[in-house]
Amino acid sequence: MRSAEGRGRTLDEAVDAALIELQESRRNVDVKILSEAPEETIVEVTVMDQTASIPAAAPGPVNGKAEAAKNLVEGLLKHMGVRAQVSVRTGADPITLDISGRDLGALIGWRGETLRALQAVTNVMVGKHLAEGERVIVDVERYRQRREHTVREIAMRAARQVKMTGDAITLDAMQPFERRAIHLALEGDPEVTSSSIGEEPERRVVVGPRKPAEQ
Amino acid sequence: MAGQAAVRIRRAIALVNSVADEAGDEEITPTEIAEAIRDCLELTEVDETSNVRRYLGEALDAVSDGMPADFVAMTLYAALGALREGASN
Repeated sequence: MRSAEGRGRTLDEAVDAALIELQESRRNVDVKILSEAPEETIVEVTVMDQTASIPAAAPGPVNGKAEAAKNLVEGLLKHMGVRAQVSVRTGADPITLDISGRDLGALIGWRGETLRALQAVTNVMVGKHLAEGERVIVDVERYRQRREHTVREIAMRAARQVKMTGDAITLDAMQPFERRAIHLALEGDPEVTSSSIGEEPERRVVVGPRKPAEQ
Repeated sequence: MAGQAAVRIRRAIALVNSVADEAGDEEITPTEIAEAIRDCLELTEVDETSNVRRYLGEALDAVSDGMPADFVAMTLYAALGALREGASN
């Protein structure tokens, strides 16, 4: 039975840190709180059902490229003086590196700007290990995943409103990966359409009613 | 105008990131990225801090040479970083 210790400012953060190390989802684990204080929570997360584990989550390198990318990012963070764990997200395509640890807000930066810069540097560093067009995604404390989830919810809310009022809605300026998440979330909806207007970095998604000819 | 260089560099970075992340909602050409970088180079502000013009020049060369978007972005981030360092000194 595998287990890992996780630390974080909140219970959720601590559990997430351990889950990343175990490369497991919440439904397969048992969580035991070892200590809970305002500044830090420590948990022990144990995988309950080994048969439910994803085979690729077994210990060892996921693949050579991912391991090379992981090692390079670990080295980069060490040079930056950042104490954090780097893991390869299981089953992710493209290769996704999860960075977890305490107080990593500075690695994310305003609207994810620092995270985006870190990803650019990582891709330049690991470029020689990758095939043409292949890229590595870097995520800190699941920020990208959370943002994608949030913008998808925003998209769904906007779509509901457009269907009720028939008026188009212009959303806030967003990063390319966020706009992409919105387009993907709404592409299958026969009643609404999404498009982008404006210039970077103020480019915004407009959600509007799909015209009859488009349906 | 103070800070105009940072605004223009951020715009160039956003264009490059848009290409790298494949937002799928626009067609950005290398010419547009090169224009955005030249817009930065037009400002005298980029000469007030060492290395900013050099990094921008390298980014422009990288676009001309067809280097990957992440490489161009990294060089532009270096220019932005140098500008920030200059502002804080």
